[in-house]
Amino acid sequence: MMQKLLDLWAAYESTLAFAAVNAFFALSTYAVMATGILSFATVAFAAVGGFLGAQLMGQFGLPLWLVLPASAAGGCVASLVVSFVFLRLESHWLALASLALILITRILVLNAPMLTGGVNGLSVPIEAPLWLLLGLLAVVALAFWRLSVSWYGIAARAVREDPAVAGSLGIAPRRVQRMAFAVSGALGGLGGVLLAMTLQFLSPETYYINISFTMIAAVVLGGSYHWMGAIVGALVFTALPQIMQALVPQVQDLARGVALLLIMILLPRGLVDPRAWRIRRALREARR
Amino acid sequence: MQLLLEQMVNGCAIGALYGLFAIGFGLVFSTLGILNAAHGCYASFAAIAGYYAATSLRLPFAASLVAGVVTGAALAILVDQIAFQPLRRRGAGMLGALITSIAFWMILDSLAGLATDQQSLSFPAGTFPSAMPMLGTLPLPAMQMIAIGGLIVVTIAIHWLITHSRLGAAMRAVGWNETAAQLGGVNPRLVILATAGLAGATSGLAGVLAGISTNNVSFTLGEGMLLKGFAAVVVGGYEDVRGAAVAGIGLGVAEVLSAQYISTSMRDAITYALLLGFLVLRPRGLFGRASFLRA
Amino acid sequence: MNGTPMLALSGVGKSFGGVQAVSDLSFGIERGAVAGLMGPNGAGKTTVINLITGLLAADAGRIVLDGHDLAGLAPQDIASRGIGRTYQNVRLFSGMTSLEQVVAGGFLRRGTSMLASFFGTPSARAAMRRTREEAMALLDRVGMADRAHSLAEALSYGEQRRIEIARALGARPKLLLLDEPTAGMNAAESQVIGRLLHELRDAGLTILMVEHNIRLVSDFCDHVAVMSFGRKLTEGSPAACLAHPEVQEAYFGRKRASSSESESHAVRSRPHG
Repeated sequence: MMQKLLDLWAAYESTLAFAAVNAFFALSTYAVMATGILSFATVAFAAVGGFLGAQLMGQFGLPLWLVLPASAAGGCVASLVVSFVFLRLESHWLALASLALILITRILVLNAPMLTGGVNGLSVPIEAPLWLLLGLLAVVALAFWRLSVSWYGIAARAVREDPAVAGSLGIAPRRVQRMAFAVSGALGGLGGVLLAMTLQFLSPETYYINISFTMIAAVVLGGSYHWMGAIVGALVFTALPQIMQALVPQVQDLARGVALLLIMILLPRGLVDPRAWRIRRALREARR
Repeated sequence: MQLLLEQMVNGCAIGALYGLFAIGFGLVFSTLGILNAAHGCYASFAAIAGYYAATSLRLPFAASLVAGVVTGAALAILVDQIAFQPLRRRGAGMLGALITSIAFWMILDSLAGLATDQQSLSFPAGTFPSAMPMLGTLPLPAMQMIAIGGLIVVTIAIHWLITHSRLGAAMRAVGWNETAAQLGGVNPRLVILATAGLAGATSGLAGVLAGISTNNVSFTLGEGMLLKGFAAVVVGGYEDVRGAAVAGIGLGVAEVLSAQYISTSMRDAITYALLLGFLVLRPRGLFGRASFLRA
Repeated sequence: MNGTPMLALSGVGKSFGGVQAVSDLSFGIERGAVAGLMGPNGAGKTTVINLITGLLAADAGRIVLDGHDLAGLAPQDIASRGIGRTYQNVRLFSGMTSLEQVVAGGFLRRGTSMLASFFGTPSARAAMRRTREEAMALLDRVGMADRAHSLAEALSYGEQRRIEIARALGARPKLLLLDEPTAGMNAAESQVIGRLLHELRDAGLTILMVEHNIRLVSDFCDHVAVMSFGRKLTEGSPAACLAHPEVQEAYFGRKRASSSESESHAVRSRPHG
């Protein structure tokens, strides 16, 4: 009996761990989406943070409390470089260029074996305990709450809704978007090293198209208009295939695709939609 | 020198497949304003259909090609109506269509995996031409000639269709402004279906040929073509099929030569570097005119 | 009220492709005045507003605000110099309540740093409280205090227009540009807007409004410039402008010997644009 419970916990523990890591990637994507930008560049930031962190841990034996901020900082620097180029582009080209960035990231990973182990991959010595993942996620969630209720949040919503009008109110769209990229980069880098510590092994395919799908699907499904949506979406999108795995193993990717499709057609603003709450509240008040 | 020429022919043949695929992909992009991440799956399914036509139904080579083309067209129309038509009605833009197409990419890739039992299948010998005529000392494998010839024929045909036929004019009108096209007497629904079908057919053809040439009938076939086709469309210019065709060949040759003379792991580097470079510096591509992107 | 105008346009020109939307435009707005910009559709009036606010860059000429040349400045920098605007088609932020719109409008006067706001320091919280109070006061001024928590989409067109004005006032601009503020409104609603603008003028605000409403312009504007096909037709008092034969031609389609008509005369035909 005890063994069965432990087995159950072991299975769900790993799902929860992956959901938490995916939540970092989803929040990283949400950070720029909240200012009106669709970008898949989180994958590149994750690669920077992941390989940097893995090397700092493996080669230099640095402790976690140094490695984690270093990875976040690495992702942040990468994002500033990327945003310098990308923010000159019109939104559609930006999205496509960020897709191209993912492709290039893998090529760079393959061709820098000193840093990344190349084709053979890199093993990661330290495992990330679940309490650390959940604890960091809670801190990040708190930070997103603070951002959303602060002047940054107001400015970001204005820029997302109507950048020209935001400009006429004195809000500088590009500056707000650069700040968003910095946040996105830090989160991507942090998520990257946490993923490395969860998988304990990095290959050139780790930071590639699969992650980009998961993170964009998580944000869209969970709700692209609220930071909680990214977390909810990551949980659903990670848990769904696990549940499917238990029921009908072959169709887990199929299930994810169908879930995303249904959301796009039926509930395009996602599960967590603040506007829907407000409209409902307004209707309730009107009826009184 | 002999090796160089052989590799050039190889490159042109691979590039011809990229170009064929890119024509279909680019048609949807430039005419319908949709970046369709699921487009590669049409090629995968076309290859699978061609495979089963050749093996289970024991149909001749031409029939497997037709099976692939028809499958590609049918799938493209299906996906367009299920995924993109509801978005058009809602006025969702290109980014919404992109995300929806990603959903379909996941779905179709899974189905393709199930169809081939997660294996990579090969067309058995005898189901496709394997003649190898020689031009002097240079071997010209039949499949490679078919690929290159196919690209030339399809490019000319579609370019003529777009520039000289009423359907082509209608396609250009709908891509630019659906309401205005409707006011001008064009039936947008029909044009959208025709465009999707044509795009699926062309990429389907690329898929079957690629499935044969690379001995890889599986869902990974489409993924590879999608990335290269996307690059060809961006580099060549998404407005003109000739640009996509030329860029496809160029990329194929560049890939083969860099794999031969630099290293295999850098093979894709040139393609993606060009892709990113053009997106950032010259999104309209080599042959595109500066114009507004339709959403 | 003579001397250097607060806002001066000299020789301003702008073309799009082959179309000259604005050419050789020069006029000035005195501090504390309510100025009108009139002209048929397509005359280039909205383009002028877009040029002043920095959304477009002029091809020729200068735009000077209180002695500072606005050339090359980004829209947010021009806004910080004290210019606010509303739009021809009301552009409120969707998904935000009226109060939130006006709070957003108070961005330039937020009185706290982004960092302090993030950490929620006592001074940042106090500054935000003050911003919200000022926003409520502005809503009250435009008569929309009771709809402070309604979503923009739930309001009528006239109500949205008033919220938009309140939002533009959030930064306490010294010059307010209004693009057809009474478009689509009936006479009563237009009068409400007109009275509001007069109150704002009396409180020290300089206003430039693009308007088709001849009654409103005659009643409320001190000074009018009339445009046609991107050029200035004439400039002066409302009465003088409306009596101008070319203005009559452009608006009423016929030459008239006597002075201005009210719009009780139906406009029979509109020429060209």
